[in-house]
Amino acid sequence: MVWFYLERIFGYWPVLLKGMGMTIGLSLLSLVIGVAIGFGFGIIRAGRNRWAARALGLYIDFFRATPFLVQVFIVFFILPQVGIELSAFAAGVVALSNMAACFIGEIVAAGLKAVPPGQSEAALASGMTRAQQMRLVVMPQAVRIITPSLVGQFVLLIKDSSVVSAIGLLDLTRSGWLIVQSVPNGLLVFGIVGVGYFIICYPLIHLSRRLERRGQAAFL
Amino acid sequence: MIEFSGVNKWFGSLHVLRDISLTVARGEVVVVCGPSGSGKSTLIRCINGLEPFQSGRLLVDGTDLADRKALLRLRTEVGFVFQSFNLYPHKTALENVTLAPIHVRRLSRAQAEERGRALLEKVGLADKMDSYPHQLSGGQQQRVAIARSLCMQPKIMLFDEPTSALDPEMINEVLDVMVGLAREGMTMMVVTHEMGFARKVADRVIFMDRGAIVETAPPETFFTAPAHARTRDFLSKILHQ
Ligand SMILES: Nc1ncnc2c1ncn2[C@@H]1O[C@H](COP(=O)(O)OP(=O)(O)OP(=O)(O)O)[C@@H](O)[C@H]1O
Ligand SMILES: [Mg+2]
Repeated sequence: MVWFYLERIFGYWPVLLKGMGMTIGLSLLSLVIGVAIGFGFGIIRAGRNRWAARALGLYIDFFRATPFLVQVFIVFFILPQVGIELSAFAAGVVALSNMAACFIGEIVAAGLKAVPPGQSEAALASGMTRAQQMRLVVMPQAVRIITPSLVGQFVLLIKDSSVVSAIGLLDLTRSGWLIVQSVPNGLLVFGIVGVGYFIICYPLIHLSRRLERRGQAAFL
Repeated sequence: MIEFSGVNKWFGSLHVLRDISLTVARGEVVVVCGPSGSGKSTLIRCINGLEPFQSGRLLVDGTDLADRKALLRLRTEVGFVFQSFNLYPHKTALENVTLAPIHVRRLSRAQAEERGRALLEKVGLADKMDSYPHQLSGGQQQRVAIARSLCMQPKIMLFDEPTSALDPEMINEVLDVMVGLAREGMTMMVVTHEMGFARKVADRVIFMDRGAIVETAPPETFFTAPAHARTRDFLSKILHQ
């Protein structure tokens, strides 16, 4: 019986593969955008302009405190009302990279604040500009501190990408929904979908753990 | 070279520098001492603009510290050595020393490394060029920090308690480097309680208390015949501990 279902599920491998491709593509694109914006957010959040830091903090907290599904709906259903028309894919990327930027921004800010103030003083005392001090001295140390949490955040991003199936994107989760229409064994179908996510995320979890161990070894 | 006139600084309501007037000539070595919290660090941190001040005037190498635009250039002329070394932990000794020369002075990597190697050799660390700070002892780290400042070829060197974070057996290796520097004619201002160093190379010793300069004297007079009761008090404390 199980074999019979398995065979039928694997008959749908093009759909599964397409779904997996979508999940990876969507996550990867959102990751790149989210990291780029997130580092910018982090620098502002840890920066000297109090008001900018506070205003951005409020924005970030809003997205950290609302369910991602709601954020996806806001982008997909509400933005068109104010004249911004987005495809499901674009809406998914916007929602995902925005959320990633918010979480990554807080991680980066924490990392920057964890670098001892003596480091930026030494850089300043040698005549570096603020930008050089950030680029050459503070940021490289912050990145080392936060790399394990960043990779952990990437895993969350990939998992959260499943939410975009709610606006009709054919990602890994939605490919499961499609298959289960004709193969009435939900446990098996979503078991396989789960394995798909595991295959993408497990190496990252592993990497994060290795980096954590290496991070502890560095510096001291 | 350094000229304070009527400098005042407050941290909130705390008056940390009171009407400081002081001139340090080219090639002079001035030692600053005084009890904890008397404002010694604040005083020398003003000289390279790490601390702003509220009133008075401070000229360093002809540059007015009020001119925040000239500050970057001024800092390339003034070396600063911290109590806690503040080496860059993600860079090797040689990279620590060459970072600012490459990115601030715009030296080529080869030029900077040549200069850096020579300086690390000079402070006795020829075999530690490629070590990371965490692989070095405190005394070695502080010598790298001194080489790092010197690599910018500064006109003035400031030291804020450079040996007080060190184990006793490492203090001399750092002081020896500083004595050498003083004898070469570097203009130096050194916050320290190492009175042996002061006797050996200082032109003047300054005693600070509660934000004010209480006494300034050549080392012989300072140690044998201090004019003020507070100075005598302080000296008896640090000489008998
Ligand atoms: N960033 C700051 N904010 C508020 N107060 C400060 C700050 N830095 C120093 N102070 C205060 O200013 C006074 C002078 O401090 P400073 O560090 O210059 O003293 P010091 O003579 O170097 O003492 P020590 O021997 O302990 O290093 C102290 O009372 C200190 O508590
Ligand atoms: Mg001090």
